[in-house]
Amino acid sequence: MSLFLGAMRHHIPGRKELTEHVEVKKLLPAKEVYIPLIHGNNTAFDILVEEGSEVKVGTKLAQTKAGLHVPIYSSVSGTYKGVAKRMHNSLRPQQHMVIELDGKQEAIQSFEPKNFEELTREECVAVIKEAGIVGLGGAGFPTHVKYGKVDGVDTILINAVECEPYITADYKMIFDNCEDLILGCRIMKKMGDVATVYICIKESHPDLIEFVKQKCPAGSGIEVRPVPDVYPMGWERVLVREVLKKEYGMLPSEAGAIVGNASTAIAIARAFTKGMPITEKYITISGEAIKNPATVCVPVGMVASEIIAACGGYTEDSVRIIAGGPMMGRTIVNDQFVVDRAMNAITVLKHQPDNAIACLRCGRCSDHCPSGLQPVRITAAVKAGNVEEMEKRGAMSCIECGLCTYICPSKIDVTENVRKAKRTLMLKKKK
Amino acid sequence: MKFNFHVSPSIKSPLSTQAIMRDLTIGLGFIFTIACVYYGAAFGMEYAVHAITLLISSLIAMVVCEAGFAKIMKKDIKTSLLNSFGWVTSIILVMMVPITMTNYAIIVATVFAIVFGKLLFGGFGQNIFNPAAVGRAVIMASFANVSAKLVTSATPTAEMANTYHWLPSANEFGSFVSGFKGFSSLFIGTYVGSIGEQFTILLLIVGVILAIRQVIDWRTTVTYLGTIVIMTAVIALITGLGSYHGIPAILWYPALHIVTGGVVYGGVFMLTDPVTSPTSASGRVIFAMGAAMITVTIRLCGNLPEGCLYSILIMNMLTPMIESFLDGKQLEIKKKVQKCTICLGIIALGLCFFCAKSAQPKEETAYIPAAQQEVI
Repeated sequence: MSLFLGAMRHHIPGRKELTEHVEVKKLLPAKEVYIPLIHGNNTAFDILVEEGSEVKVGTKLAQTKAGLHVPIYSSVSGTYKGVAKRMHNSLRPQQHMVIELDGKQEAIQSFEPKNFEELTREECVAVIKEAGIVGLGGAGFPTHVKYGKVDGVDTILINAVECEPYITADYKMIFDNCEDLILGCRIMKKMGDVATVYICIKESHPDLIEFVKQKCPAGSGIEVRPVPDVYPMGWERVLVREVLKKEYGMLPSEAGAIVGNASTAIAIARAFTKGMPITEKYITISGEAIKNPATVCVPVGMVASEIIAACGGYTEDSVRIIAGGPMMGRTIVNDQFVVDRAMNAITVLKHQPDNAIACLRCGRCSDHCPSGLQPVRITAAVKAGNVEEMEKRGAMSCIECGLCTYICPSKIDVTENVRKAKRTLMLKKKK
Repeated sequence: MKFNFHVSPSIKSPLSTQAIMRDLTIGLGFIFTIACVYYGAAFGMEYAVHAITLLISSLIAMVVCEAGFAKIMKKDIKTSLLNSFGWVTSIILVMMVPITMTNYAIIVATVFAIVFGKLLFGGFGQNIFNPAAVGRAVIMASFANVSAKLVTSATPTAEMANTYHWLPSANEFGSFVSGFKGFSSLFIGTYVGSIGEQFTILLLIVGVILAIRQVIDWRTTVTYLGTIVIMTAVIALITGLGSYHGIPAILWYPALHIVTGGVVYGGVFMLTDPVTSPTSASGRVIFAMGAAMITVTIRLCGNLPEGCLYSILIMNMLTPMIESFLDGKQLEIKKKVQKCTICLGIIALGLCFFCAKSAQPKEETAYIPAAQQEVI
């Protein structure tokens, strides 16, 4: 906090205690999984298996027709039954590949395991490109692009912050897969050609910090870096600001850093050692309206209602069900959506009216915006319909972290107003 | 089973505008209570009763205006009253007037504050001017001579302005201070002033508590009072004021400005009004600096005894301009803000020279109409 700038972040009660010390449940769907054929906005896929054919865990099912190369693998063993259109967490109906389970969960290697120590930096990057590894923090940015040019990069930050309330998926996964995490860090260190890798964990998880510290090999350049328990600490810009005390324009590499997610590091390690893609996900099922909150380990494509039933079901009649955490996750109006590769939580909250009142102009949204925007001013531009001002006030730099809505004492959906500005600007760009 | 839609995020912080206003009301109410106790103890019960009557008159006028407006606008009266926070305006207004004010004047001022200061702009959150300041300005312009049948002595502000033109020599300062039972009583507030703003130390304590509870922004108050202290210290240096009992002028002269008049009250409760001040942190700093410069200039060069009220109204007017000047990403405009602050600092320094030059103690006391003696 300074004289001219607000805090640009805020502590949000994490409510992690709901699931932190609950054993991870391994679940399998009763009958079928539905694997969504979508990556970002790309829904054009070539399906590589015949209807009715047997598939195993790790069988390549489909890959993108154009654009970014993204392969899709089966998460279960069973029979492929064709495609079906159903609700997806992108809020639109999408094509899903239906696979009936045989319950055996037999696995095959999707690609050949490699020993990274025998490979050059470029060969390592080629391996993860081939394996189709994308960032698992949510954006799905292809990981190999970050390691294409590494001049000037001297630090890698591993994001194990998990700043969204309720979610403990990364926390639990790191406890279960710490060796993979360290191996992933070593591979990333080689690919990035850097001296230090910081694994960033919230101070409010001292047990995890201690655990990972003990597993870090001495003198390897891999260190644990505790970070404050504030939101949105897990956004790479805030992480770089906190750890390296630097700002950048577009990409963290301008500040000499590459930021990667902890689950991405684990995925890289698996690709090298086992030749396996991501087929199962740690998902935190939490919130006040869930009977037995827990973190579960499920195959990609499992239906939410089945998982929620396994967690004891709902405790309220009127709920908000959110694919993701309560800050950035989207509410979905039924529980028939499936677990996607980039999903890490399902949060179920009691539905409460907002009771918004007039804006007080207190400026808390401007003080806390991690992008340094002034949401109250962008809202004013939206109300006036002034497109030029929306652009000047930087609406496009909003990442929709939701902190402005959270902090607003008048309970206004500030983020939604900024989203309106973004939509208006994008429409204008298209014209 | 009902699955509801809500735009993200789906959780909201427990802090509400209602809670902010509640804290503010408690802070103001506490100071008002202390004021009633002081006037009751020092002058007699009818003084305390009169202060309470003033507040009740103002509150009734406020409720009538708000309810009438809600009725005309076909809104639910109870929710409009609760979400308009008119009582804060009433309390702030009452605490700005001297104890000799009549109920009639305070009712007219409240009507102006609520209707013309707030409701006609579109209600809470839309008004440009601080409603309480509008009400006070109405009293200043129209009711300065009215007085309830209560007898009080001269206020330090009026005496400082009329007799010394805010620039007493060290000896004059000494006689001024002893006229009010010493500096500590000026600091504590045991003298006759405006009902709320005389209790400097109490106001500062309440201000710190409110700032910690994030009800008011510390930047506004600290910048405002800080700028006044620095400017008056510079003026003390320029005019070569002597030391008072060994205390150099750069210390006693700013202290005089802080404890006399309404700057602490204005800085804690009025400039920090979020509705009428800029929304960004940097905007509030510039806003408070501007207000401080106007306050000092009016005090030393203007024809008014006090500058706090008009500095607030003038800066309220400039708020939209400051906001549009500071539009954009806050990290990108940081340089611009720093340059702007430095420029304002240089202007403030220039003003110090101007004030010191034009406010030399005069031989003859300029005529100041009684109408302007009892001003914050």
